[in-house]
Amino acid sequence: MTWPAGAAGLGPGAPGLGYVCKEMETTPAAEFDLLLRGHVRPLYRYAYRWTGDPDHAEDLVQETLTRLFTELDQLRQIERIRPWATRVMYRLFIDGLRRMRRSPVTYVGRSGSTGAMLEEEHEEIEAPDETWDPAALTEQALQQERIEAAWPRLHELHRVVLSLHEIEGYSLEEVATIVDVPLGTAKSRLNRARQRLRTLLTEGTNSDSGACKSHD
Amino acid sequence: MIDDLEKLRERLKAMPVPEPRPGFVDRALATASGTGSTHMRGIRATLARPAIWWAAGAGAVMASIAWLVVMGMHGSAPREAAVSLALNESREISLVIDSERVLEGATIRLYVSGGVALEGYEDQHEIEWMASLNQGANLLSLPVVARAPGDGEVVAEIEHDGRTRRVSVAMHVSARPTSTTPVRG
Repeated sequence: MTWPAGAAGLGPGAPGLGYVCKEMETTPAAEFDLLLRGHVRPLYRYAYRWTGDPDHAEDLVQETLTRLFTELDQLRQIERIRPWATRVMYRLFIDGLRRMRRSPVTYVGRSGSTGAMLEEEHEEIEAPDETWDPAALTEQALQQERIEAAWPRLHELHRVVLSLHEIEGYSLEEVATIVDVPLGTAKSRLNRARQRLRTLLTEGTNSDSGACKSHD
Repeated sequence: MIDDLEKLRERLKAMPVPEPRPGFVDRALATASGTGSTHMRGIRATLARPAIWWAAGAGAVMASIAWLVVMGMHGSAPREAAVSLALNESREISLVIDSERVLEGATIRLYVSGGVALEGYEDQHEIEWMASLNQGANLLSLPVVARAPGDGEVVAEIEHDGRTRRVSVAMHVSARPTSTTPVRG
């Protein structure tokens, strides 16, 4: 698989992670570990945003790694492993959704109540704001709450494109390759996802203000 | 309402992601390459009734969370997305709880709603007990009986250390009672 020119240097590319020391005698398992270790947590992060559940996310990553190990020969040739692995994970995610919709069995996720947050994201939330403005901070916190309430209500495909493009910084070309659709389709899917998210946020805002009015 | 795309991105990026379980990266890589414990390594324990598990696991200490798989459901109702039962019909639902290691004192809960009940526990909509799980697959057979027409649900939940795996099986009970006369071929 080829990835669009100019994509190198983006977060998902993680330069250097695909390097394997050719001189070393390694077992396939050790080589696989070396190639993939740096990508497991990012894959888990994507999977969590797609599935909304840490257990499902772990299952999806496990399934992805198991599949990738069978393609070790191909992995050795790939310059940028993460988008490729993400594409494999996306296919497994979609296959799982299809299976689930045809089955009477539903896996209902529930995250741990005391689950610690990933450090980098935690830092982002806790970063001190030099322009201390309680009203603005309250509004920010409200917006954050609304986003987090709206996210699980988005369609799975919308969560995928938003998480890859808006959160993880994949270009639209890369997103199109990962979800295996033409660029135009990826673009319109992203636009629809943004639109849908905005609609859900507006509904959230209206219901907030509605609640205030009913108090009055 | 967030109008600005950059602000929207900021808020999206700030959405929290819980940590995976400790050791997940090592375990996942080892399992994928076959150097770790394999998933679904065979049935180690066949326990027909919750009461046996209760007796086996009471008072033990918790360890690790397990996988929950419902066996044989895909073939039974591939299109309707519900297991169909006739009125008064009994059906065994097999749950496989696949544990990465010996797990003592996991909490198992069953919730039954709608027109179905668990045989032997027909007045109880919720059953909870503690169980010790072997490493590998542990089979739990749930005898479900259709008691009233309509939709129902059986939910099984296993909990350890604040993490939960939950699986729900949609059931549908048709008004036609199950035949007591053997069908001739």
